Amino acid sequence: MSAVGLIARDEIRLMTRNRVAIIAFVLVVLLTLVAVASSWAHQREIAELRARQAEAAETAFKAQPDRHPHRVVHYGTFIFRPLGPLAAFDPGVDAFTGNSMFLEGHRQNSANFGDVRQSSLLVRFGQLTPAFVLQVVAPLLLIFLGYGALARETERGTVRVLMLQGAGRGQIVRGKLLALGAAALLAGLPAMIGLAAISGQPGALAWPMLAIALGYAGYLALWTVLILLVSASVRRSRDALLALVAVWAVAVVLLPRVAPDLASAAVPLTNRLQTEVAVARDLRTMGDSHNPDDPHFAQFKRALLARYGVAKVEDLPINYKGAVGIEGERLTSAVYGRYATANHVAQARQNALVDAMGLLSPTIALRSLSMAAAGTDLAGHQRFLEQAEAYRYALVQRLNRMQMEDVSYADDGATDAGADRRKRVSARKWQAMPDFRFIAPDGRTLAAAALPGLAIVFAWLAGALILLMVASRRLGAR
Amino acid sequence: MGLFRYELRLLLRQRLTVGALALLALLTVAALAMGMAEVARQRAAIAAIPAAQAEDIGAVAHYVDHTRDAGSAAYYSFHPTWDAPAPLAFAALGMRDVSPYILRVRALGLEAQIYDGDTFNPELALPGRFDFAFVLVFLAPLFVIALFHDLRSAEREAGRQRMLDALPNGGRALWRRRTLLRFLLTWSAIGIPFGIAAAFAGVAVAPILIVLALVAAYLLFWIALAALVGRLRWSSVANAAALAAAWLVLVLIVPTLCNVAINAAIPVNQGAEIAMAQREAVNGAWDVPREATMRRFYATHPEWADSAPLGPEFHYKWYLAFHENGDESVAPAVRAYRQGLEARDAAARALGWVLPSVGVQALLTRIARTDLTAQLAYQDRIRAFHHRLRTFYYGYLFRDRPFGKTDFDRAPRFDDRDRG
Repeated sequence: MSAVGLIARDEIRLMTRNRVAIIAFVLVVLLTLVAVASSWAHQREIAELRARQAEAAETAFKAQPDRHPHRVVHYGTFIFRPLGPLAAFDPGVDAFTGNSMFLEGHRQNSANFGDVRQSSLLVRFGQLTPAFVLQVVAPLLLIFLGYGALARETERGTVRVLMLQGAGRGQIVRGKLLALGAAALLAGLPAMIGLAAISGQPGALAWPMLAIALGYAGYLALWTVLILLVSASVRRSRDALLALVAVWAVAVVLLPRVAPDLASAAVPLTNRLQTEVAVARDLRTMGDSHNPDDPHFAQFKRALLARYGVAKVEDLPINYKGAVGIEGERLTSAVYGRYATANHVAQARQNALVDAMGLLSPTIALRSLSMAAAGTDLAGHQRFLEQAEAYRYALVQRLNRMQMEDVSYADDGATDAGADRRKRVSARKWQAMPDFRFIAPDGRTLAAAALPGLAIVFAWLAGALILLMVASRRLGAR
Repeated sequence: MGLFRYELRLLLRQRLTVGALALLALLTVAALAMGMAEVARQRAAIAAIPAAQAEDIGAVAHYVDHTRDAGSAAYYSFHPTWDAPAPLAFAALGMRDVSPYILRVRALGLEAQIYDGDTFNPELALPGRFDFAFVLVFLAPLFVIALFHDLRSAEREAGRQRMLDALPNGGRALWRRRTLLRFLLTWSAIGIPFGIAAAFAGVAVAPILIVLALVAAYLLFWIALAALVGRLRWSSVANAAALAAAWLVLVLIVPTLCNVAINAAIPVNQGAEIAMAQREAVNGAWDVPREATMRRFYATHPEWADSAPLGPEFHYKWYLAFHENGDESVAPAVRAYRQGLEARDAAARALGWVLPSVGVQALLTRIARTDLTAQLAYQDRIRAFHHRLRTFYYGYLFRDRPFGKTDFDRAPRFDDRDRG
């Protein structure tokens, strides 16, 4: 057996003799299994609940009686954000964003009923998911297993004994690396098996799963190298432990919290009240369909009358109210869309700031790559919001067109006893409306979104390896 | 006292100790500054409401003045409500980053409005805020571990323990002195910046003292744990590893496990179902005879029952009546939803009695009025205000009084101090 193999075997034997280490290891494995099971059950439960609710909402929409199309604009529809299979591994922001949305005319509503407002305060301590275990707990386990790997030998002077027996410095470090790397592999294995099990579900995509597996492998490898780097650089194993726990606390616990606070202070978001007031202001200047003297709609009316070659709206072959509805919705949607885009841009800038902090904390980089690949990051939520808005706009405009074509202008304004009946459109029309279907991004898109995070994690790994090579040259020098 | 001075000088020569204490004080100051900046932002957002509101309502008044129709006024006027942060909110931001503290409502169905959220970036909210509560609950124990894990074992490993035990005033008195000294220094590193910040923020004396006592109690818990581990006479390294593992379990793992358990044990029927049921009830009113709607409304609101009967034309009093009917039809579901949320919250609080990390977080957010209880109290204030709004507009609609420009100024105004 080579010297490296011997050293690795020796180190592993020492780890297995440490009863506390074994108990900790078993506990982490158990924790991972619990996390995989509960997270998967939770994801399936949520996915089914939302599918059921979405179906109930669609059924209710289609079961509407004969109605005036504009009633249906206000009746609106509820849609639910579906949860992809990879959310069982990393649910990301799912609990923090509303997952249902009420779509109606003239307005863009917020997504409501996120789990964070429906759970106890414990939800802010973190969520037990495989991603959480690997990001937060596994590094600490590796620290406990490996802090003394080299520092212990230095402290007791056994490094020189090893070297006297003919082992090179590089061989010693590689042997220890191999041993701790094997432990890291074993610690990460249950979560990866969970990931593989999740992949059996329909809709799970190969590329993002590969990105996730690579990302976490790189992350655990980074911690392995980092632990040996610190262990090689200090003279006492206690110092190695304290330094590593400090590094862990800063990189895993502190920075991921500080970065968002700095980002939200640097890029303030406009709150809803200010946005709504600004939207109303813009609409007043652009065109107000309620105002009889509004220049935009006066112009609109003239153009419409000229197009059909008639003098009065009563003579139009279409229902003028429906035409105004279409134009009004076009204007409001454009204004709302502008503010929504500005908000998205601001949030993307905030996230870019946090991602830049990923250069300081690989945990931040890993977290964002993991969420991006799972499709549960902010971009995934915004994808939902954009598709929801596109669907809402198409739905409302269909209804406005229905009012324009299927309800006569005379009936629409009439108030006689039978007018209410004549204004209504057949219930069959609602059944012909398309349902909302969230189009999930393909695997390549998700995996590509994970690339920046992957690059940062592997840059960290490369940097740590170089430093370890430098540090191992001085091993046992004094 | 002299012995304390010597111990202090001894302690201050240790670079690790001085560095740790300075870092802890620095983190506390940073967290307090971040919390205060966030609260200042929230206060500024609330202070900016009147100007925006005046502009908005002015435009509505201008438009409604053509018809002087109270129904249009009720339909188009949004009225702001807000939940000003309590003086101590900067210390524990709690739910204030994910729950709205400004919400505009109008006199239509409230159940379709009260669950609306404000704009926030979920990716920033996900890891939690960097506030004083975080420094205390998550970070302070790590500093206690760094300072206390080798209190005795370091002396033993250096071969000095027997000598120290043999000294006059040595032995137990010595360890007590050293423990007390380290405790006081840690407590000051957290407590002094907090005290100054709280006094600066105008927090009353009693809450400041409670928080300071809470800090002391939480630190003492971790010191006691360190002492307990120290009694096992393990090496310094083993002590540190055991304590760090205890930290991981008590602060991160048990709360997350309990979160899963509580959410599974106490199912809350999803709020989305309330919103859907309310919308069904409200929109269904267009398809039932209007008299039936009015009868149902008058049954619960006899004070308006003598209003003139409906004509063939659209009348906003019918519209608002079926909105209120819609709210009433989901009232039992709303109560059940709220009870579910409160049951989850109560379960987490109960856990706080056995788990100090959760207990401290729960107490801090309670004193800072940033917890679920505070959120629900804000919702109650919104409900009370919304009731006043409805009554105000009904006074015009059910009596067919015109609604002029000056009537906009008579509309009820939300008063944040009106706490319940």
